[in-house]
Amino acid sequence: MISIKKMYYNFITPENSGKKIGYFRTFLAIFGALIVAYLGMMVLLFVSPGSFLDLVVVFVLFYTFVWACSALWIVLAPSKLSALLRVIIPIFIFSLFLSQMS
Amino acid sequence: MLEPTLKLFKQRLLRAHTSLGIFLSLFMYVCLFFGIFAIFLPFIQVWEKPSRHFEVKNTKEINYSSIIDAVISKPDFPKNNIKVKLPGYKNDPALRISHQFIEEEIFNPSTGIKQENENRQSKLAFFLNQMHYGQFFSIFGRLLFGFVAVGVMFLIVGGLLLLVYIKFQKNGKNQKSTFSKLHRNLFILTCIPLFLITLTGALMNVGFKGAAPLANYISKGEKNNVFALLRPVLMPKEKSVKRENINAEMLSIKVLLNKAKKINPQLNIEELTLINWKDKTAKIEFVGYNPYKPFLNGIYNRPKIILSAVDASLIKNIRVLDRSWSVLLTDSLYFLHLLYGVDIFTKVFVSFLMLLSCFAIAFGVMHYLEKQAKIFDEKIPFYHGLGKFSLALMIGVLPATALLFNLQWLLPFDMNNRIFVQQALFFNVWLATLTWSFYRLSSHQAAKDFLYLAGILFILAPLVHFKSSGFSALDLYEKNMTSILSVDIVLTLLGLILFIISYKLPNTRKESQYFWNKKHQGLSNEP
Repeated sequence: MISIKKMYYNFITPENSGKKIGYFRTFLAIFGALIVAYLGMMVLLFVSPGSFLDLVVVFVLFYTFVWACSALWIVLAPSKLSALLRVIIPIFIFSLFLSQMS
Repeated sequence: MLEPTLKLFKQRLLRAHTSLGIFLSLFMYVCLFFGIFAIFLPFIQVWEKPSRHFEVKNTKEINYSSIIDAVISKPDFPKNNIKVKLPGYKNDPALRISHQFIEEEIFNPSTGIKQENENRQSKLAFFLNQMHYGQFFSIFGRLLFGFVAVGVMFLIVGGLLLLVYIKFQKNGKNQKSTFSKLHRNLFILTCIPLFLITLTGALMNVGFKGAAPLANYISKGEKNNVFALLRPVLMPKEKSVKRENINAEMLSIKVLLNKAKKINPQLNIEELTLINWKDKTAKIEFVGYNPYKPFLNGIYNRPKIILSAVDASLIKNIRVLDRSWSVLLTDSLYFLHLLYGVDIFTKVFVSFLMLLSCFAIAFGVMHYLEKQAKIFDEKIPFYHGLGKFSLALMIGVLPATALLFNLQWLLPFDMNNRIFVQQALFFNVWLATLTWSFYRLSSHQAAKDFLYLAGILFILAPLVHFKSSGFSALDLYEKNMTSILSVDIVLTLLGLILFIISYKLPNTRKESQYFWNKKHQGLSNEP
């Protein structure tokens, strides 16, 4: 039986080989990255000066690209824990910011 | 980065690039392949329809007024927002008059004779375009191709990072390294235009739909369609003027057109909109493309001149740089993708780059397969499911498309389910190539078969066209129908090129090792 301690240890240490991506990272890279990109672009949208609708155009143009970039960033995290943190921390910061905005 | 972390980083980067690349390669290839046809959509659109086969005269000397007046003077024709597309708009030689609630009428501009419009009977260009962006499989296909575009951006960024972090061999001596080198070098050449094209592709297929949560958030739950929010920025509407119901004499279209050309001589006028026609408040809008400011207009930013139709006084002149910066940005990103109103050289150049990207994708897949084949090391013949599938999809699509062009003029235009038969046969032939590629043990042989067949069919297509349309190549040349003739010429050339490729390609795996590494012959791969 795998103990919880061992599972946790597996979770926080970087893997020996990067030749396998795994479902966990794939899932985070697709959906986590989407949320990170979306919220990040929304924060940018509310912070940037200028005509609001023009900025919405920029949001719609570039959020798919930001999604792809953040997916890459998350997939390349050394350990599973850091991959998870790369999703959770930005989401936390961005949502805190957005809740202060409105 | 620390040494072990850096190693892990590189391994993971390569792995993510390979696995996603193999997964997306086939979709990407389909997008790009049909995209090349979509670039030449205006030409194919004219080629496919008998109604567009008429002598083209110098369009500047023709007086459209009489044709347009005859149509819109009919008592039951609507008087507001009549759209007129001038000959030459998107390479269409016909004059088209339409209204939101009326079926489009098309005319031969030099004779003024009304032509039959075969929109329901002829959908070749439309079909090729639908295959390009996934619309053929409706919303599912569009979203799928949109996500593929997002994946491609991931691959482009990841691939550039790989170039930075990993030192690739420059002088590899086997097939595998040749494929890898070609994959890298071709994509280095095309990555910037390909990126712009995928970015806008993702925008059109998932971007607008995916922004629904944002639209909901900023409109406080009123709207879910971000496009409805952005319409005032991207496509602002002129204020409508109320009809006064006082009849007035209209100036002729020719006079108004000349006036508009004087106001903005740089503009290629493509479309007219007649507003409140035959009324005192009548206006005419001239919309066009300004070829002197490429990358900045053509899609959402369409320069416009509005004149009063009663006395030709200028009401409004919207130039290219009058719009807000976000529209200019959108148009500059869209420009390479849609290529509206652009001259033929740019189109050929972009399609050439996309053809190179097709090859680069194919070399990427071949590099992966070669890696797999090395495991068996020539002990058994290499027979890989993905290899067969990619073979049928990438090369099998050629004979299927060639058949599509043949059927366009083989099937009679009054046939009942013409489009269904044409498209069904296209898909059947494509599927048959899959069977054939599994049946033939040697993929090299199967590839040669497909190219040979496609070559014959592509050469036959213009002949079928000449026969059934009743216009020979000489007729087309003499009657100045260059856009139709050019499609025939390109199809013949394409057929010949495929023929030559099918002849030159290696027959067996042994030969292919020699074929791809002629430079290093004698250095390695001792028999």
